[in-house]
Amino acid sequence: MADETGRFGVGALGHLTPGNPNRRQFMLLGASAGAALTVPASAFAQSEGQANPPDKPRGQVIAALSQEPTVFHPLMPGIEVDQGVWWQIFSPLWFVDPAGHFVPDLAREIPTIDNGGISADGLTWKIKLRSDAKWHDGTAFTAEDVKFSLDLINNPDFRVLSRVGHRLVKDIKVVAPDEIHWRMESPYSPYMSILSLTCMVPKHILEKVSDPNNSPFHNAPVGTGPFRWGERVPGDHILLNAHTGYHGKGPYLERVVFKYIPDLTVLYTQFRTGQVDYTGIQGILPNFVQEAKTLRGHKIFVSSTASVEHIAPNLEFGPFVDRTVREALYHAINKKAIIDALNYGLPKQTESFVPQQAWSFQPDLPQHSYDPAKANALLDAAGWVRGASGIREKGGVKLEFTNSTTSGNAVREQTQQLLIQDWRAIGAAMRVNDMPAAVIWGDFWQQSKFNSVLVGVNFMLGSDPDVTPRFGSGATPAKGGRGYNTYQYQNPEADRLLAEGARQFDLAQRKVIYGDLQKLIRNDLAILPLFQSSITEGVKEGLQGFRPNINTSSNCWNMREWYWA
Amino acid sequence: MGAAALQSVQLAPGQAAWQRFRRHRLAVAGAAIIVILVLGSAFGPYLLPFDDTYIDIMRRFAPPLSGAHILGTDELGRDVLARLMMGGRVSIAIGIVAMIIAMAVGILVGAFAGFYGGVLGAVLMRLVDAVLCFPAIFLLLALAALTEPGLMTTTVLIAATAWMNVARVVEAQVRSLREREFAVAAVAFGSSDLRIMFRELVPNAMAPIVVSATLNVATAILLESYVSYLGYGIQPPAASWGNMLNNAQIYLTSAPWLALAPGIAITLAVTSFNFLGDGLRDALDPRMNIP
Amino acid sequence: MARYVANRLIQAILLLVIVSALGFAILHLAPGGPLAQFAVSSQMSQEDLARVTRQLGLDRPLPIQYLDWFGRMLRGDWGRSYRDGEGVLTIIGSHLGATFELMATATVIAVLLGCWIGVLGAVRRYSLFDSLATIGAMIALSIPTFWFGLVTIYIFSVHLGWLPSGDRQTIGDGSVLDLLHHLIAPAMVLALVETAIWGRFMRSSMLEVVNQDYIRTARAKGLPEWRILTTHALRNALLPMITVAGLQFPTLLGGALVTETVFTWPGMGRLFLDSIGYRDYPVVMGILMFSATMVLIGSLLADILYAVVDPRIRVG
Repeated sequence: MADETGRFGVGALGHLTPGNPNRRQFMLLGASAGAALTVPASAFAQSEGQANPPDKPRGQVIAALSQEPTVFHPLMPGIEVDQGVWWQIFSPLWFVDPAGHFVPDLAREIPTIDNGGISADGLTWKIKLRSDAKWHDGTAFTAEDVKFSLDLINNPDFRVLSRVGHRLVKDIKVVAPDEIHWRMESPYSPYMSILSLTCMVPKHILEKVSDPNNSPFHNAPVGTGPFRWGERVPGDHILLNAHTGYHGKGPYLERVVFKYIPDLTVLYTQFRTGQVDYTGIQGILPNFVQEAKTLRGHKIFVSSTASVEHIAPNLEFGPFVDRTVREALYHAINKKAIIDALNYGLPKQTESFVPQQAWSFQPDLPQHSYDPAKANALLDAAGWVRGASGIREKGGVKLEFTNSTTSGNAVREQTQQLLIQDWRAIGAAMRVNDMPAAVIWGDFWQQSKFNSVLVGVNFMLGSDPDVTPRFGSGATPAKGGRGYNTYQYQNPEADRLLAEGARQFDLAQRKVIYGDLQKLIRNDLAILPLFQSSITEGVKEGLQGFRPNINTSSNCWNMREWYWA
Repeated sequence: MGAAALQSVQLAPGQAAWQRFRRHRLAVAGAAIIVILVLGSAFGPYLLPFDDTYIDIMRRFAPPLSGAHILGTDELGRDVLARLMMGGRVSIAIGIVAMIIAMAVGILVGAFAGFYGGVLGAVLMRLVDAVLCFPAIFLLLALAALTEPGLMTTTVLIAATAWMNVARVVEAQVRSLREREFAVAAVAFGSSDLRIMFRELVPNAMAPIVVSATLNVATAILLESYVSYLGYGIQPPAASWGNMLNNAQIYLTSAPWLALAPGIAITLAVTSFNFLGDGLRDALDPRMNIP
Repeated sequence: MARYVANRLIQAILLLVIVSALGFAILHLAPGGPLAQFAVSSQMSQEDLARVTRQLGLDRPLPIQYLDWFGRMLRGDWGRSYRDGEGVLTIIGSHLGATFELMATATVIAVLLGCWIGVLGAVRRYSLFDSLATIGAMIALSIPTFWFGLVTIYIFSVHLGWLPSGDRQTIGDGSVLDLLHHLIAPAMVLALVETAIWGRFMRSSMLEVVNQDYIRTARAKGLPEWRILTTHALRNALLPMITVAGLQFPTLLGGALVTETVFTWPGMGRLFLDSIGYRDYPVVMGILMFSATMVLIGSLLADILYAVVDPRIRVG
């Protein structure tokens, strides 16, 4: 199949914007809605490469993914690989950079309480937009598109990804083509983060569509992003071409290809032979990393993700109701073996559900120690007596349970085997009950039908630590709740902290609130945290510009800045 | 000559078959290897100092002959030889039982369909077609909906994917043999239907049946690996040659013995069953000329 | 004959309806669903999931969902994928080319090579050639395709650099030479197992025939050996192979899942696995109906062909 590289005029990228004029402005602000201000401006380097980006887009990058992106409407339900593609085709109002700062994209400046963008009570929002952004078909981007996008999200017939936060938006007013106002029903600070993940869609194309859930747009999307839609071969690859009229920095690549390679061993092999230039989600398997680092002509990046690998107990299930049991089980986990041996030392040990790079991370949490003797002592003292088979029992409840994870994940399956052995030593009997992803995350997970699950979860909402849907008492689906508190955790103190945190716009205060929350969760051992996950990505030598970003779901977030040296 | 020659000619059919079998050296070798494998799997674990599920995380990926572990250790430090033997119990059992179930169902369905033809034959063969319409993964889905994965369910699943081919082949053969002289003669002779089916027709269709059976054992052992690849199969920590092969995939270059051990075991088993099958066919088929 | 074919066609249609109903029931009753993949991500709440379930019509009673799907199917609307919203027929169509290319090549190689090895093996029974061929076939049958694939890639791609390490073509270059270059490794790996199977069946079939009375008669008559083999033996030995061929027919368009995964080949096998993995109901049902149709056609063709070729068979 012939590919269609765009025909470029000379000097198409005449107006590259050199960074964000407002960076310095919001750096000076003390407390502002959701910005993390601990990192100095110089750390926000523009390009780390030795060579400079070319004047004209040049070359192509083949990015390998182990899951196939299939959703190209950025407001519909999509997973991380889909979002990776959305980053190229579409733009949000602003995004979060690796350091945690909000950076304007389609907006001209980040709205804050101090610059009047957000009213003091958090209810009135006034956003100023860029006037030079263009859709891929040449039409100008205006505030009408923002209104249309937000209205579409709240359209009851539209199969939107999520209305969290958006449903609070009322009375959207297009004041000028480059300014939009709206009113929030109640103050909700995480909305800044939510908007950083919300891409804008074109009104002039989608308003004519009869079915918002199904239209030609879905497979030939038009956005304001750095790359325009090229072609797609289902089950094989997606090809994107550079958008010369892009309003931001870049793009420096003529073409970006997202290649679907379902098997991780094969993905690594294709990287080795140079058939792909970049290995994205889910990265290079831990057992290949050592070898990968020695490959000539390739650079390996090991970066943390926001996902925390933990054992999720069903807090209403038999033995897990007792906090002592949870503590004993936690002490009997050989985290060092799991991290160093099974995961080749790549991820980092953690006690919190917040990633260590986040502004809300609480470093002062009790540290885990692998102490089976202590675990045994705790259980003995609490009255859990060993039965004839060696399994502990108390009040008719046996210390036995199943643990589930997605089948086919080698490292997790090995972790389970190790847990079985270590926990048997303290009188706990664990049995494996693995199932494929489509099954385990269905009712089994959602309706809390599990005993325990070995899972990695990104608790953050973008960069925001509001975990009400995960730990709030009213968020348990099995009890009719609205969120995904599948652990069935109930603690009024936690509810109080969560409510306060979501109302608060002052950063320093939020930090304290969420710090206390992490202490509470850790003391209650609502989850048994293992480590903060990492992803190992490989880039071919000569490819510059790659920068991991823990605040986005995909490290493809800045492909517009990639170039061949 | 004389009396001795007469004696040798008047061997009972069973003894004659045994003699023919014995002359087939490869078949004898195959049978011997299978016996060794079965005995090894059954009794071997008692002779080894290592447990097949004991995890020794510090001694993972020990190469063969590097220490106390003859075949080395796997990704969790478990003894490969112990797992190979325990796995052998599972895989050989699955291979044989699944094959027997598949053959039994397939021969029955095929013989009845081929012999009677007409409505019964059509209904039976359409049943075969119907089950054939569902790809293996789909049957897996069906089973997953009803049961939890395990030894019995995996065996049933594998048999369920194999019996249709047997039925098809048997039906075609029986249908063609039905019109042959010996069959017509048997009918004229007054033999009952069942007798004709299973004494005259099926034995004459032995050749493709035996080939089918030996191929089925091979397929069954390998299908178990495929089934664990799809997430069902024998659950850890239990070992099977199939799931050992599966787990060894990502360590192909770093720890090749993890794949070689079960791979060679499977090859030996499959090859032995094949030669055994050859010998059986030669022994049981009265028309075969043994050079 | 015409009545037989008509009968079979009616039976086939009935069967398709039964298969569709059974398949639909199994698929929907199996645990899990198409929204499970979003349940662990932090952006979709239980409410959102319930809403989307409603919007997809998945909360309706099963018989209603089936009748709705069946009705649309009859009108030619095979539905749309839950994942990318493309029409099911379009998706299947886009994968057929790649599948056929791979499967047909492998089958042709396998049939030709397998029959040749099988015949030679039968004629020169227990010779060195036969023993080696048998052992080779056994090895080919006992090693999973995944292994052959990976080892082939490691040798020919990673170390020697002669062949690409997967894919159907180099992106941007769709020339015939490029396609062939990419076809070599997966076709050979697939053909290996197929050759072993065809070879075993052919050998056994040939052995059957070669020992028949009429062959001995032909020899006694003084006919040249090659003539006996081709005109008499081979033709009769090929008969049971028709049944085997009929069974292979659906795989021509059904693809080979494992080979497609190892060689990153965008074929039907992988599409089916992915669709089941994501519980993309419309696509799974579409492929099921498609493969069921192929199976029934293959079965019918095999039976007809067999009857045509062997005068001793009465059909019906």
